[in-house]
Amino acid sequence: MSPAVAMRRPALFLAFWLLGSLVLAFIVVPLLSLVAAPGVTGLVRAAAMPDVRAAIALSLGAALVAAALAAVSGVPLAYVLARSAFPGKGIVEAVVDLPLTVPHTVAGIALLLAFGREGVLGEPAAAWFGLRFWGTFAGIVVGMLFVSLPYAVNASRIGFEEAIDPHLEKVARTLGAGPWRVFTRIALPLAWRGVMAGITLTFARAISEFATVALLAYYPMTAPIKVYELFLRFGLDDATGAAVLFLGIVLLLFVLLRQFAYGRGGNRGFGR
Amino acid sequence: MSAQALAVEGVSVALDAFALRDLSLAVTPGEVLVLLGPNGAGKSVILETIAGFHRPLQGRVRIGDRDVTALPPEARHVGYVFQNFALFPHLSVAQNVRFATEARGTARAGRLEGERRITALLARFDLARIADRRPADLSGGEKQRVALARALATDPAVFLFDEPFSALDAATRDALRDELADFLREAGVPALYVTHDYAEAMAFADQVAVVDGGTIVQCGPAERVFAAPGTARIARMIGVENIVEGQVRAVADGEAILALGSSEFRVPLHDRAVAAGQRVSVSVRAEDLSVLLPGQAPSAADIVVPARILRLANRGPLVRVDCDCGFPLIACVTRAQCRQLALAPGHQVLVALPRAALNLLAG
Repeated sequence: MSPAVAMRRPALFLAFWLLGSLVLAFIVVPLLSLVAAPGVTGLVRAAAMPDVRAAIALSLGAALVAAALAAVSGVPLAYVLARSAFPGKGIVEAVVDLPLTVPHTVAGIALLLAFGREGVLGEPAAAWFGLRFWGTFAGIVVGMLFVSLPYAVNASRIGFEEAIDPHLEKVARTLGAGPWRVFTRIALPLAWRGVMAGITLTFARAISEFATVALLAYYPMTAPIKVYELFLRFGLDDATGAAVLFLGIVLLLFVLLRQFAYGRGGNRGFGR
Repeated sequence: MSAQALAVEGVSVALDAFALRDLSLAVTPGEVLVLLGPNGAGKSVILETIAGFHRPLQGRVRIGDRDVTALPPEARHVGYVFQNFALFPHLSVAQNVRFATEARGTARAGRLEGERRITALLARFDLARIADRRPADLSGGEKQRVALARALATDPAVFLFDEPFSALDAATRDALRDELADFLREAGVPALYVTHDYAEAMAFADQVAVVDGGTIVQCGPAERVFAAPGTARIARMIGVENIVEGQVRAVADGEAILALGSSEFRVPLHDRAVAAGQRVSVSVRAEDLSVLLPGQAPSAADIVVPARILRLANRGPLVRVDCDCGFPLIACVTRAQCRQLALAPGHQVLVALPRAALNLLAG
C-alpha cells in the first residue's frame, strides 16, 4: 500500500496497526518472559553443564550439515522447477511441500520405518556403507532435513523465478556459455538472496526441530530434546536457563547468516 | 548454399500454444531482414529457433555454410540482442563483454589476446570511460553499445534483434535507432530484426518478411513489400492507412478500370488476375497522396478526386487529413503545407493519387 492510499483511510489503517501490534506482542512477550526469567546465574549454571553445551553443539553441527545438504540437493531442484515445464510438475511441487503438512510425530514414525534397522533405506545404508540412522548424528540430520528441505527449495525457486529475467540466461547461452556456466555465473549469483534466504530458513527450521528428531534419534540429545528432558526431570528453572542459552546462540547465528546472505548481494543490481 | 549468411529451410516448430509452419527465409551477407508482424505472430519464436532454443520437428537452419540444426545455442555463433538489451546486472560493462570472450573460449587462446580484444571493443563503442559501471547506472544508448560490443565479442555470423527498443521512450528510441542503423551499415554483419513497428522496419530493412500466424505471408525487398502488400490483412499489418473497395469495370492493357464511389481509376494489374464485375480492394499509403486546392493543376501521373475534409489530426511532424471522396481516404501533409493550403474540416479540396502508388490487393 502506498503512503498516499494509507493517508486517505486513517481509521482503517489505525485499526490494522492495533491488530498488528497484538500479533507482535504475541510473538515478543513470551520470548521476553523467557529471556527475563533465568537471570545471569541461571544462564551461567546452564552454560556450566557439559551435557547442555554438548547438546547445543550437536544441534548447531547437525543443523549446519542439514542446511548444507539442503543447499546441495534443494537448489538444483529449485532451478529445475523454476526453469522447466514437464508433465507431473504439479505433483513434484506437492511432494516438495509435503513435509510442511505432515505432523512431525508422523514424519518421525515414517522416517523410522524408512531409515530404521529394517527400513528400505536404513538396511542397505547400514549393509553397504555402515551408515546407521537410529540414535546417531546421521539420524538427527535426516530428521532435520526432512522437515526443513521445503524452505530451501521454495525460497531458492522464488529467487530463480523473480530475480532473473529469462532473457539473461538465453543471451548467456548465445554468448557461448553452456548450461552449467549459465547456472554458476548468471543464475546463481542473481538468485543469491533467495538461495541464501532459503538456506537460512532451512537452518532455522532444522535447529528447532523436536518431534521428528526425537522419534528417530532421541539420543544423542539435541538442544530442544535436552531442554525438554531438563523440564521433565528438574522442572521449569533448569529448563529455562538452557532454553535461553540455546535461543541466544541460535539468534546470533541467524543474524550472522542473514548478514552473510544480504551483505554480499545487498548492493548488486537485482532488478530486471 | 554458402552464398547465404543465414538460411531457414522448411522449419516447423511446435510449442505448447503455438507453432511455426514450414517456414523458410534467407539473409544474404551484409543484409538486414526485418520480420514484421503483429504481437503473437511468431517473430520471436523464429529468432529463438535460429538461436537454438527450440528444436524443429522438421527442416534445417544453416548459418554460413554450417548446418546448425542440431547444435545447442552456445555453438551457433549468433549475436542476440533482446528487448532492453538484457545486460547482466551483476557484472560491470567490461565484465559483460569479458563474459562473452571467456565463454566462447577466445580467452583460452591467450589471456592477453582476450583482454586486448575487450579493450578494443570497449574503445570502438566508446565504453572505456564507463567500463567499471553496472548496467543499472547506464543510459539507454550506453546499454545498447554494451549489448553490441558484447555480442560482437563472440564474432557472430549473424545478428538477431528482438524488439530491442520496445521498452524505451520515444526520444531515446529515435536516437538509438539511428545509432543502430549506422552500426549495421558499417559492421556489415547480416542481421535479422524483429519488430511490430512499421517505422522501425523502414529504418533498418533491406528485405522485409511479414509474419502472421507462425508463417511468412509475404517476403521481398523492403520498398516492394511496403509499396505493394499482397492482401488487405498484410496491408493493415504494415500500417497502410487506405484500403478501399471497388468494382472492376473492365480490364485492358495491363490495367484494371475500377469504380470507387463516383470516380473511375486505372490501376496497374502487375501480376494479379481480375475479371470485369469482380469486387476488389486497393491499398495506398497516406504519405503517397497529396492534397490540392480546387483549381490547382495536378501532375499527369496522378488521378485526382474531389474530396471534403472531415477532420485534421496532428501526427508528430505531419498532419493526417481524413477525407470523404465518396469513399474514405486518409492523406498526410506537412504542417507547413497544411498552413499554406489553409486546410480545415468542411473544406472542399482535391486529393491526388499517383497511379504507381495504387496497389491492387489479392483476395
